[in-house]
Amino acid sequence: MSDHHDHDHDHGHKPAPMVDEVSHFEILEMAVRELAIEKGLFTAEDHRTWVEYVHTLGPTPAARLVAKAWLDPEYKKLCEADGVEASKAVGVNWVTSPPTQFGTPSDYCNLRVLVDTPTVKHVVVCSLCSCYPRPILGQSPEWYRTPNYRRRLVRWPRQVLTEFGLQLPSEVTIRVADSNQKTRYIVMPVRPEGTEGWTEDQLTEIVTRDCLIGVAVPKPGITTNVKLPVRKAIHPVHHDH
Amino acid sequence: MSKPHYDREHHAKIASGIGDPQCFRGKAGEAKFKEGERVRIRDLPDIFYTRTMLYTRGAVGTVTKLVYESPAAEDEAFGNEDHPEWFYSVVFMQKDLWPEYSDTYANDTLETEFPERYLERA
Repeated sequence: MSDHHDHDHDHGHKPAPMVDEVSHFEILEMAVRELAIEKGLFTAEDHRTWVEYVHTLGPTPAARLVAKAWLDPEYKKLCEADGVEASKAVGVNWVTSPPTQFGTPSDYCNLRVLVDTPTVKHVVVCSLCSCYPRPILGQSPEWYRTPNYRRRLVRWPRQVLTEFGLQLPSEVTIRVADSNQKTRYIVMPVRPEGTEGWTEDQLTEIVTRDCLIGVAVPKPGITTNVKLPVRKAIHPVHHDH
Repeated sequence: MSKPHYDREHHAKIASGIGDPQCFRGKAGEAKFKEGERVRIRDLPDIFYTRTMLYTRGAVGTVTKLVYESPAAEDEAFGNEDHPEWFYSVVFMQKDLWPEYSDTYANDTLETEFPERYLERA
């Protein structure tokens, strides 16, 4: 970063930069990672294996867990009682799936499935950082990590959910789960009307990542997460280095 | 505790094949609080590290679940695993956390976890 590179785009002979922008946190991560490798805490090979594992993760296993529970009341009971055990049925072993064989360094092995009812709606946040059930849900969306979502959801959950397009009547109470210690949460929404007779595969498709975080509810025909519009900054920041 | 040379694989050794917090199961002794009990969150000093949110301090809630045993994050952050304790999931009425919370939605709640040291009977 200390290189004196200029942002003059007139020099046609210069190759375009491979990365346009690197944040302070990315630099910090690289510095700590390189130090850790030099000190022998883990090898570059370990790191590569880990990154590969992380890139295989996504919300599909959690969606399937919900679909299975909708179809099988016994399995639903298991989900409520022991999320880690219930995850095995959808191919996720919280302890042994990650390359470490003891869970992941920050996700631990303690999943709780928050079961919605027609009168209780759960929604998940980590107000302290961005704890997220990655083994079963993949990487968190960018908005989940923003201070804006984290600090407002605990205090104004109704207003924040409205911004996601989810308006709940006053007879439905909201329960916010603030993931601050070693438990990770997913939400099991209520099975929507219009899905009678559906197969597990069909049901899995409508349980999107947003439904599993709790900022949306499943609807027949909706199989993707909400895309919030990106608005350009009115006064963008310019770096003059 | 005396660890002149910190064993950097210590955590991997105790947790491999078992998981964390499972590796601390049975190490916290008897739990001080039960499900359904009313508890107040203590405002302990936290100069170095804490995972107990400021907005919960002083608030009264109800224990919903004894979740697991583990060293408190305040200790574990510095490699001190000598005193695992019980963790509790506590549910608060939003009104008790935020006095200005809308009366229309007075039944809204928030649930989060605490190590035993942060709780006192209310």
